[in-house]
Amino acid sequence: MNLAEHLKRSAVLGIGISVLLTLVLSTWMFHAEESDLRLQHKQRLALLHTNGLALAVANISVEETGKRVRDIQKLDPRIESAIIVVGMQLVASTRDEDAAPRQLKREEKPLFDLSNLIRTAGETNRGEEVVRKKTIQIDEKPSGHIVVTVPYLSDGQFAGILQMKFNTEAAEMFSPLPDSYSLPLLFLLAALLAGSLLRMNTDRKVDVAKLLALGVFLAIALSYQQQRLNRIEQMMAQANQSIAANYLATAEQYDRLGYLALPRDSSAVNLWDTDHYQRPLGLIAASGNVSAKAQAAYFDKRGGFLKRILASFDLLGLGVLLMFIYGYAARTFSALKEHADAYTYVAPAMIGMLVLVFFPFLYGITLSFTDTTLFNESLPFQDRLIGWDNFKAILGDFNLYERTANGIIWNYQNFYWTLLVTVIWTVSNVTIGVTVGFFLAMALNTEGLRGKAIYRVLLILPWAIPNYITALVWRGMFHPQFGVINQVLQMFGMQPVAWFDGVFSSFMTGLATNGWLSFPFMMVVILGALQSIPKEMYEAAEVEGADRWQRLRYITLPLLKPTLIPAIVLSVVWTFNMFNIIFLVSGGEPGGANEILITKAYKIAFENYQYAYAAAYSTVIFMILLVYGTFQTRVTKATESF
Amino acid sequence: MKRLPMIFAFVSLLIAGIFSAAQAAELIVWHAYRGAEKTAFEKVAQLYETKNASKGIKVTTLAIPYDAYADKISASVPRGKGPDVFIYAQDRLGGWIESGKTVEPIGFFMDDATRAQFLPGMLDAMTYKGTVYGLPLNYKSLTLIYNKALVKSPPKTSAELVKLAKSLTNAESGRYGLVYWYTNFYFHAALMNAFGGRVFDKDGKLVLDSPETVASIKQMMKWYKQDGILPTEPSEALVSSMFNEGKAAMVLNGPWFIGEISPSVDFGLALLPVIDEAGKKPMRPWLTIEGAYVSASSKQKELAYDFAKFLASEEAGLILALEGRQLHTNSAIYKDKRVSGDVVLNAFHNQLSSAEAMPNRAEMTMMWSPATTAMNKVVKGNATPEAALKEASVAIQESINALRKGR
Repeated sequence: MNLAEHLKRSAVLGIGISVLLTLVLSTWMFHAEESDLRLQHKQRLALLHTNGLALAVANISVEETGKRVRDIQKLDPRIESAIIVVGMQLVASTRDEDAAPRQLKREEKPLFDLSNLIRTAGETNRGEEVVRKKTIQIDEKPSGHIVVTVPYLSDGQFAGILQMKFNTEAAEMFSPLPDSYSLPLLFLLAALLAGSLLRMNTDRKVDVAKLLALGVFLAIALSYQQQRLNRIEQMMAQANQSIAANYLATAEQYDRLGYLALPRDSSAVNLWDTDHYQRPLGLIAASGNVSAKAQAAYFDKRGGFLKRILASFDLLGLGVLLMFIYGYAARTFSALKEHADAYTYVAPAMIGMLVLVFFPFLYGITLSFTDTTLFNESLPFQDRLIGWDNFKAILGDFNLYERTANGIIWNYQNFYWTLLVTVIWTVSNVTIGVTVGFFLAMALNTEGLRGKAIYRVLLILPWAIPNYITALVWRGMFHPQFGVINQVLQMFGMQPVAWFDGVFSSFMTGLATNGWLSFPFMMVVILGALQSIPKEMYEAAEVEGADRWQRLRYITLPLLKPTLIPAIVLSVVWTFNMFNIIFLVSGGEPGGANEILITKAYKIAFENYQYAYAAAYSTVIFMILLVYGTFQTRVTKATESF
Repeated sequence: MKRLPMIFAFVSLLIAGIFSAAQAAELIVWHAYRGAEKTAFEKVAQLYETKNASKGIKVTTLAIPYDAYADKISASVPRGKGPDVFIYAQDRLGGWIESGKTVEPIGFFMDDATRAQFLPGMLDAMTYKGTVYGLPLNYKSLTLIYNKALVKSPPKTSAELVKLAKSLTNAESGRYGLVYWYTNFYFHAALMNAFGGRVFDKDGKLVLDSPETVASIKQMMKWYKQDGILPTEPSEALVSSMFNEGKAAMVLNGPWFIGEISPSVDFGLALLPVIDEAGKKPMRPWLTIEGAYVSASSKQKELAYDFAKFLASEEAGLILALEGRQLHTNSAIYKDKRVSGDVVLNAFHNQLSSAEAMPNRAEMTMMWSPATTAMNKVVKGNATPEAALKEASVAIQESINALRKGR
C-alpha cells in the first residue's frame, strides 16, 4: 500500500488539521481574552483611584482641592500626576512646573475639549434618560501610561474634569498567569496519535472509525476549551481580589486623612469601582468584600459570549474534519494540482472579486449581527455585537394589520407587507415586460415589414435613456393637477386621479414606468431568438396542416424557452431590486405602502441611521434571492436539454 | 564618472525640493460650490495665500459634487484622511458630532471679537450641546417673492395676504395668489415657528405634535381649503414654472430660486407677513447655515482655524457676497453700500430679523419623511392634523429610540 492510499484510509490528516485549526483559533481567542482582561484590570484599577480622588475633592474649596490632590498623589507611586481643569482654567496640578492655577495653554486645547465632551455626555444621558455616552475617558498611552478622566463636581454640579496619569511600568499592577503552549501541543499530539490509529472504510458512509474520529475531535476540542475557560474564571476572581485589596488599602488612607469615610456596612454601594458610565460595577461592596454572587453572574455573562464563539470554532473544525473523512479535501487538492495553471490565471480575478465583492458582502453580513447606528459606530466591535436580534426583529414581527371599527388597517412598515409588495411588483413587472416584449417582437419579426429598422430603434429607445430620467419624466406626468395624464383624463370629461394617494394607483405609477423601461430588453431578446428559429420548421408544419396557433404553441414557444428563461431569471433579480423607479416615481407613497425591500433598506440606513438593521434587511433580501436563484437554476437546468 | 556631477545635481535638487515642500504648509479645503460661488471662493483662498505669503501657506481648494459630499466626509475624515477644512450646512453637524472623530470643536480658539462679528442666530447653528464646532459662513432662508406685475404692494399681515391672494386666484385658469411647497416640512416650518411650534424642545425631546404645530397646520389648511389660494400638490418644479408663467402672484422661496426666475418676470422681495391668527407673530423661516469646520483629523488645526476665520471675516465676506452672491454671516458687510444697495441681498438680510436656525440635531433626518407623510395626509383629508402629527411623532420616536440605545 503506497502513501497516498494509506493517507486516504487514515484519519490522521483530517483529525490533525481540524484539531490544529480549532486549537489555534481557540488559543488565539483565549489569548486575546486574557490580554483584554489584563488591560481591563489595569484600567479598572486606575479608574478606582481616580473615582476615589474625584469623590474626595468634589464640592470643596479650590485651595483645599489643590492640597488634597497633591497629598493623594504622594500616597501612591503609581500615580504620576493629577490635574483639574475647569473651563479654560487649570485649577490644580501636582506637577510643579504647571504652576496652577493658570489659564490653559494653546497646546492644552484637548483638555478643554475633553471637558466639554464629558459635560455633554452627562447632559445627553440625563436629557434622554438613557445611558449611552461615556462620562469617563480612559486612554492608554504608547509610553505605558494610563490616563483617566472623570467629571469634577463643584457645588453638586459638573464643573470640569479631573485627570490622573498612572505609571503602569513602574509597578506591576497585576501579575497574570503565565501563558503556556505545552497544553495545546499535548492535545495536538494526542489527536495525531488517535488519528494514525484509526483506519476508515472508504466504501461505507458510516463506519466505526469515522464516528470515533469525530468523537476524538470533540473530546479534545471541548476538554481544551473547558480547561482554558476555567483559567479565565480564575483570572477574574484574582482580578476582583486584587481590586478589593487595592481599594481597601487606599480607602483606609483616605479615611485616616479625613477626606472620605470608609463605610463599614457591607451593603453600601462602592462608588469607586465603576464602569465607563459611572455606574457602580457591584462586584465589590463599599466595605471591600467581594460579592461572590455578582462575580459568578459576571463570569456567566462574559463566559456565555466566549462559549458561543468557541462553539463556532468547534463547528468549523468539525466541518473540516468531515471534509477530510469523506474525501472532499483530497479531491479539492488533486483538482488544484491538476489544473494548477488554470488556477494561476484566474487568481488575479479571484483576488479582485475577493476585495471588491466578497469583502463588502461579508462586512455587510457581519454588520447585521451588531446594533451599529450613527450614534455608536465608534464603539468597539465587541460592544456592538448583539447576535440574531436584528433578524428576529425583522422576521419575527407579525404585526401586519390591525382590526379597528373602520375595518382593517395595514401596517405598511412591516417587513411582510413590503415583501408582499416586492413580490407583486416583481411578478407583475416581469409579466408585462415579457408579454409586451413578446408581441412587439412577433410584430417586428413579420416578414416584409417596411421600416423595420426605424421601429426597432424607436422601440429600443426607452431602454437607451437613463432610467432615472425616465422615472422623473413619468413622475411629472402623474402630477394630479399639471401632469399630462390627468390633463388627458379631463379632456375626456373624467375626474382627475390623485395618483400617489391610493396604494393601488401609486403602485400603478411605478408599474407603468417600469413596464415602459423593461419591454425593450425582452423584445430584443425574443426577437433574437425568433430569428434563429429555422424557417424550414414552419414550412414543414404548414405542409403538415398546422394552423397559426399550433405553429406558435408547438414550434415558437418551445424554441423560445431556452433564451427566455435566463432572461426572465435576470429580469426578476433586476426588478426585485429596482431602486430608482420606486424611489423616484412614487417614493413609496402613500405612507411607505409601496416601498420595496431595497428602498426600505436604504431609508433605514440613510434616513434613520440604523446601519446594522439595514444590513440585516439587505441580508434577508440576499437570502430571498439566493433561494430564488437556486430554485431557478434547477428549472433552467431542466430546460437545457430541450 | 562623467555622470557623477549630473547625479549630484539631481540629488541636490531633490533635497532642495523636499526642504521647500517641508516649509510650505498646505491647507486642503473641500467645498461643494459651482459657478460664481466657486470663483469667488477660490479668489478668497488666493487672497489668503497672498496675505500669508511670508509663511508660505498654500491653500488647495477642491470642489466635491454636492451629492457625494457628506458621505465622503463621513467616510474619510474619521479614518484620518480628507481635508483640513470643509464647508457644509448645519444639518449634518449633529450626526457628525454624534458619530465622533469628524468635526473638531473650535470654542477654545475663538475670541470674543470673532464671536461678536456674526449676525444674530448664526453661531447657534454651529453650536451643538453647548460646544462650538464651526464658523458660520453664509445663510439661506425663505422670504416672500412676488410678481410686480400682479402685486403692487406686498402684504404685511396674513389677512392682507389672503385678501390679495384671493383676488389673484383663478383656479379654472390655473392662477393662484400664493404658491409654495407647503407639504414640505422645511417650507411649513416658517408657519410653525410663527405659532411657536417646535420639532425638539431644548432638552432634545420630540414635541412635534404640540398644539402650536397643530394650529399652524390648521392655518395652512385654511389657506388651502377655505380660502383656496394654494394649488394642489405643490413641488419645487411647479412653484418655479408657475411663477415664471405669471400664474403665481406670490411665492415663498429662498435665494436659490432667484437664479430660476425667468428674465421676463419683474419680481420683488418682501418680508414674510405676520400671522394674525398666531397673535400677530411674524412667519419665521428656518435658516440653513453653511459653516467652515476644522477636520478632527487635520494635522494643522490652528492654521485650519485661521483660514476658517478668514473666510468668516469682513474682507472675505464682501467678496463672497458681491461676487459669489452669498448671504454672508459677517454683520459688518451689510453696512457696505454695495451690499445694502443690492435688492436681493438686502431683502434676505431683512428677513433675518424673523428667522431662526434649523435644528442641527442628528435626529432631524428621521423627522423629514414621517412629517412629510403627515402633511400629505392632512392635505388630502385622510387625517386630522392632530392624528397625523401624533402618528408621525410615534414613528419618529421609534426611530430615535433605536438610535438612543442604552449601553
